[in-house]
Amino acid sequence: MNIILLYLLLLKGTVTAFAGLASLPVVQDALVVQHHVLTDTQLNEAVAITRSTPGPVGLYVVSVGYFVAGLPGAVAGWLAMITPALLIIPLVHFAGRRMEHPRVKSILQTIVIASAGLLLAAAIPLARDALTDPITLAIAAVSLGLLLTTRLDTLWIILGAALISLSASSLGVLTKVI
Amino acid sequence: MLDPTDRATRGGPSLVQIADVFSRYANFTLGGGSATVAVMHRELLDKRQWLSPDNFTLCFALARLTPGTNLLAFCTGAGWLLRGMSGAVIALLAGSIPCTLMVVVATALFSHWQDNRWAQAAIHGAIAAAVAITVKTCWTIAHPHFKGRARFRVALIASAAFLLYVWLAVPPIEILLLAGVVGALLPPARA
Repeated sequence: MNIILLYLLLLKGTVTAFAGLASLPVVQDALVVQHHVLTDTQLNEAVAITRSTPGPVGLYVVSVGYFVAGLPGAVAGWLAMITPALLIIPLVHFAGRRMEHPRVKSILQTIVIASAGLLLAAAIPLARDALTDPITLAIAAVSLGLLLTTRLDTLWIILGAALISLSASSLGVLTKVI
Repeated sequence: MLDPTDRATRGGPSLVQIADVFSRYANFTLGGGSATVAVMHRELLDKRQWLSPDNFTLCFALARLTPGTNLLAFCTGAGWLLRGMSGAVIALLAGSIPCTLMVVVATALFSHWQDNRWAQAAIHGAIAAAVAITVKTCWTIAHPHFKGRARFRVALIASAAFLLYVWLAVPPIEILLLAGVVGALLPPARA
């Protein structure tokens, strides 16, 4: 598939989506249904890969690009992912000058607070997906405790969690062997 | 509180410093962009004082209204406030290239990853921690506004957004736009 066309199709998804995987239906329709250059399985794999590597969920378009056209496709996916971000510049420019206006301030604050509520809602499916046994539950509870009470860097918390889960898994293997 | 015009009064960080901070902190958080925002809050406000709380709110709120990946819009907006157009482009590149490279490598290695139970076990643990980070992020972004008489308002708006999304399945962008309208109609908050 032509790389520029791939970029434009992926861009159509990213520029019309406002959260996480909201662009998925558009990408699926364009690449799986209409152009047949991607399968549903590959699309699922792209999402799974992105969720198990660091960075935002929107990165799945990079993975999709790679599946469709190798490295050049990944570049097209990367460009489709970053292009919409530039739209914030005029927004910041316009609102930033009016930041002292109480009404503008009130609008922005209300949006931020509503985002906090939405984020808590987004944590529910994430928790349902991730907290599947006593060990993962304990990891999440201890991590939350540490985050609220200490200034420990999140990187260490994530590495520690990975290490504990890995140790628990190897212990499980050992007890099975014995 | 810091002067809201950080850039004008203090010269702001250099492009190299921007590239350094955004490449180190905007790429390496599991659990999606929202968890990363909590990390950026600590790095840009608490540790370095590059952005004022007002400017952080500005970038965060507008990033939620920008299509595409919110985190990248946030990086771009913050970079723009720090050093104009070149700051915006550097922050966007630094915030997206390292994690893109990791995804390309992971995609290429996918068949190996899929069957490796050790890698899977480590990832499971990391994602469990990411749930905690996401929950903590709600507090990180809401608590600067949670003071004085505004407390009730903050709790009400956050709960309303939560319930609209969970019970009525209203799309997030519509909830955020509604929040903007409500914010415009409300009398200014007095802390």
